[in-house]
Amino acid sequence: MNGTLSTVAVISVLYTTLIFLIAWYAHHRKESGRSIISNPVIYALSLGVYCTSWTYYGSVGKAATTGIDFLLIYLGPSLTAFSWLFLLRRIIKISKEHNITSIADFLSQRYGKSPWLGALVTIIAFLGIMPYIALQLKAVSTSFNLLSGMQTNPTAFIELESGTTIPTGLILALILALFSIIFGARRLVSSERHEGLIAAVAFESLVKLVALLVVGIFVTYGLFDGFIDIFERFKVADPERFSQLFTFNISKNDPNYISTFTLLFLSMGAIMLLPRQFHVMVIENSDERHISTAMWLFPAYLFLINIFVMPIAIGGILTTGSSSGADFFVLRLPQLAGYRSIALLAFLGGLSAAAGMVMVESIAISTMLLNHIFMPVIVRFTPRTWFPILLINLKRFGIVLVVMLGFFYYKIIGDSYTLVNMGLISFSAASQFMPAMLGGLYWKRGNKAGAISGILLGFMIWLYTLLLPSFSKSGWIPETLLSNGPFGIGLLKPTELFGLTGMDLWSHSLFWSMFFNISSYVICSILLTQNEQERDQVHKFIGIFGQDESHRRTERKRLSKPVTTDQFFTLMSKFIGESEAHKALNIYSSGQKITGEVTISEFDLPNLKRFTEKTLAGSVGGAAARAIVNNFLSDIGSSMEPVYDIFSTVRSNLDQNRESLFVRLKASEIINRTLDLQVIMDDLLKLLVKEFKLDVALIQAKNTEDVFSIRSIQWRDLSTTHQPECYQENIPFLDLAYRDQKAHFINDLRLDRTVTALDKTVAEGFISCAHIPIYREGEPVIAVLSLFSKSIAGLFTQEFIELLSSLAGQLAQAITIVQEIEAKQLERSQKETALLKTARITRDMEIAQQIQKSFLPDSAPVIAGVDIAGRCISAAHVGGDYYDFFLRNDLTVDIVIADVSGHSVGAALIMSEVRTLLRAETNSIRTPHAILETLNTQLYDDLTRAELFITMFYAKYDAATGILSYSNAGHNHPVLQRADESLCQELDTEGLILGVIKNVLFEEQAVKLVSGDILLFYTDGLTEACNGEGIMFNTSGVYSHLKTCSNLSAKEIIDSYYAMIHAFTGSQNLQDDISLVVVKIT
Amino acid sequence: MKRLRTKIMHSMQLRESWIIFFILGIIMMTFPFLHIFNKPILLFGVPLLFLYLTTGWIISIIVIYLFMIASHHENEIKEENIKP
Repeated sequence: MNGTLSTVAVISVLYTTLIFLIAWYAHHRKESGRSIISNPVIYALSLGVYCTSWTYYGSVGKAATTGIDFLLIYLGPSLTAFSWLFLLRRIIKISKEHNITSIADFLSQRYGKSPWLGALVTIIAFLGIMPYIALQLKAVSTSFNLLSGMQTNPTAFIELESGTTIPTGLILALILALFSIIFGARRLVSSERHEGLIAAVAFESLVKLVALLVVGIFVTYGLFDGFIDIFERFKVADPERFSQLFTFNISKNDPNYISTFTLLFLSMGAIMLLPRQFHVMVIENSDERHISTAMWLFPAYLFLINIFVMPIAIGGILTTGSSSGADFFVLRLPQLAGYRSIALLAFLGGLSAAAGMVMVESIAISTMLLNHIFMPVIVRFTPRTWFPILLINLKRFGIVLVVMLGFFYYKIIGDSYTLVNMGLISFSAASQFMPAMLGGLYWKRGNKAGAISGILLGFMIWLYTLLLPSFSKSGWIPETLLSNGPFGIGLLKPTELFGLTGMDLWSHSLFWSMFFNISSYVICSILLTQNEQERDQVHKFIGIFGQDESHRRTERKRLSKPVTTDQFFTLMSKFIGESEAHKALNIYSSGQKITGEVTISEFDLPNLKRFTEKTLAGSVGGAAARAIVNNFLSDIGSSMEPVYDIFSTVRSNLDQNRESLFVRLKASEIINRTLDLQVIMDDLLKLLVKEFKLDVALIQAKNTEDVFSIRSIQWRDLSTTHQPECYQENIPFLDLAYRDQKAHFINDLRLDRTVTALDKTVAEGFISCAHIPIYREGEPVIAVLSLFSKSIAGLFTQEFIELLSSLAGQLAQAITIVQEIEAKQLERSQKETALLKTARITRDMEIAQQIQKSFLPDSAPVIAGVDIAGRCISAAHVGGDYYDFFLRNDLTVDIVIADVSGHSVGAALIMSEVRTLLRAETNSIRTPHAILETLNTQLYDDLTRAELFITMFYAKYDAATGILSYSNAGHNHPVLQRADESLCQELDTEGLILGVIKNVLFEEQAVKLVSGDILLFYTDGLTEACNGEGIMFNTSGVYSHLKTCSNLSAKEIIDSYYAMIHAFTGSQNLQDDISLVVVKIT
Repeated sequence: MKRLRTKIMHSMQLRESWIIFFILGIIMMTFPFLHIFNKPILLFGVPLLFLYLTTGWIISIIVIYLFMIASHHENEIKEENIKP
């Protein structure tokens, strides 16, 4: 006997070690990033935690006593599986989104993160699960005793031969608690998946399935000859019991299907609402796609695990002759047949079923306890560094508490209930969550008051009609309470409440609890309104499937005092430890594309706050996380306050609502109405002031001295005196806006004094202000739009700033257009002025030309025997060529030809000066060289100053003697064509150009002219005239032409030269002035 | 055969049919149907109600399985449509 005991004990320990190794391996794989758990089959198997030792032993027990209705407990979940495609998927999506840790957390978060609801759900789950845990402990310790051949007593103490007792149930409870702690409470983050635990659970699911199949096949095909054989033999052997077991109540001749429906309903709810089912289904789900496989694989699992239950039960009855002790037929049948190994396998299957359930359940419940019972108390204290250690140990304590409470329940209730009945009490408790759960997922109006009151009422009915009778049966509560009702009031009898008779215990309890639960939920939800927090959460839970998830939800709240990232980090690390906090923030910053060091914008702060809350929720639950963050904020003097809703209506479509569109429309009307910038700016500011209830709006721009000046300003209250100093204070912001092209704003000047001293602005009574740069994309800032408000803090929301920036952009566009138009007009008028000026100059030049022409002699002097002609054609309006004749007496004439360098007005002026001087000199001075010398001296200063030179040839001809005396000041040599010679002769003397040196001596020579001699004076324009190929006319051209026209008169010679030059250059316009003087001796 | 399969799958892709099957399942588990099969007789040597429940169960599992294949099929078609 002792040997059997030790064998069973050793095998149990070995099996436990195996499970531990599997869990450790899975954990190890996850750490190295190659999860074996992320697999739909494992997921489906882990859902098999639904099948506890209740299924394993209890199903057979129920099949043998009440018959086929045990199947309904598994048909219900199979039906529910149909709904997983949308229901479970939705729950998982929401839970992942909000780091939900348990079903209590889910319900609490859905109903405004209510801590009360979380606590209520936790208490119900905690109390409701107690019988269930007890059931497992009872099953395992009984099976252990059966297998080891020990006689069992109700308190499950094994009496050894030595007289010492081993409390099997207690040891089992402690071992299971230890296991749960190792797998489920090594770390605090509860929203994280426990891969080791799931691996263990999935393996256990497999073991219990295999074990039950082996036993089933053994019984059906080993002890009997298949299904048909068992059924037929049973029908023959005991037709009455056959009818009882294989029909619903037909043996009583009163087939009602209420209990059928109750079982179906309870199991349909339980598969999703039991804390452990919620845990494995939702929290431990690694991939939404696994659902679709689990949808058919899990029902298939249930089918397989149940297919042999009926044959085993019938086989048991046929073998033992009765249904007493049917709960353990699975174990006893192989044992009775002498197959100990099969019995041992069956025992391990039962152990697996119990262990898996207790572990998952205790972890799930302890998480709920920590987050919804302990945390609300803890958050009232200031966070300390040892908080993470406290929290994790509280969670471990919770596990032990859950398991031990189950143990004590087991000790109290003992054997008074069958396994199935104990399980159904738990199912019934879990079903109280159903209205709030389904309503929470699909009914927007479902509110906190409804959920709390409904669940509370349902729970109280459950407590009264189910849990209380279960205690009274064990003798804790007087039987009279059940038979006569409290204080003898028959209507309040727990099993026949309000006189409802004829229903079984479960249906009765379910009816009344659901009646009160649903009615209260619906009535409260309809009558009472949701508060803002609730509405927020409803939107998150129901709204996320209605719209595009990527659509950014516009923030409706702001932090009244900015909080830094570091502060949030410190807060998080106090609860989840520094490394976890660091990890979390890294995730946040990579998602937001900001680094931790960079200060985040005011608009992002609420996001960070929400993220902090979400992260903490993963460890302590949503309600507690909210309390922690809110406490923290109020400690530092900040709070979430509603954003001033500038666009008071339409909240649904926040992006482009009516007000915003109206303002945009008005603005574009203003801009397009006129080209007067001042009017545009004034009207736009008026519009802003009026529509957004601002106090002052102004536009400032930098003037040419880089100083800001006000271009336009509008007040709401026109009577207020205008204090420009306070706008001066804001200039740093303007500079900033100019530089970074971003809007700068302060939503509460009273709080935010850190950046710049804005004392005058505050003194003026402004409490919020914004400075928006006016610029076009990719261009520098033109001006800055500044807005001030005295009444509204938090006026400048992200959407408002966006609207203002967009208006500023429109204004910039308008300004640019106006500026372009103005620039074009300016250019045009400048051109006109320039043209006018040119015309005036041209006219002046023409006048100058006329005057200059008039300086030249109108006609040549008439002297007997000499034919003189002269002409000057200038290339420009005015030129520097000059020739003149001075008639001394009837027979003597002075001929001068000169060229002032350049064609400028200066040259012309010098020319006129030369003329004046010459006229004066020729009266006193007689000889050419003296005239040149005097002229040089007189002109030297003027020429030097003007940087001009003069070449001049001065000749004096005396017709009486025929002597031509001459002096040259660097001028082109005149050509003398003798009548009797074919060669030309050049006249030249020594002499410098005028204006180079002050005192120059000029040589004078003389030549005698005879009749027929032709003398040609010319300026360099003649010889330097070029044809199209760049060849100059040259002196040779001058000479050769002179020969050909010696027979012409002086005037004709000049004409022929001009014609010649025009022909040579091929142009009517001269390149340079050409002056010619011809003297022909007749 | 293949055409038939495609046709069945196509008609099963409707989300509504999910709910129809779900409701049908519940109806099959309530009074009138249960009453029909609630008789203490053997059919093919198997108790009638036991046979009814287990067969119905198997059928429901097969239906879900087919649905899953259909919805995978649909997703694949969708993905193919998106890719090019």
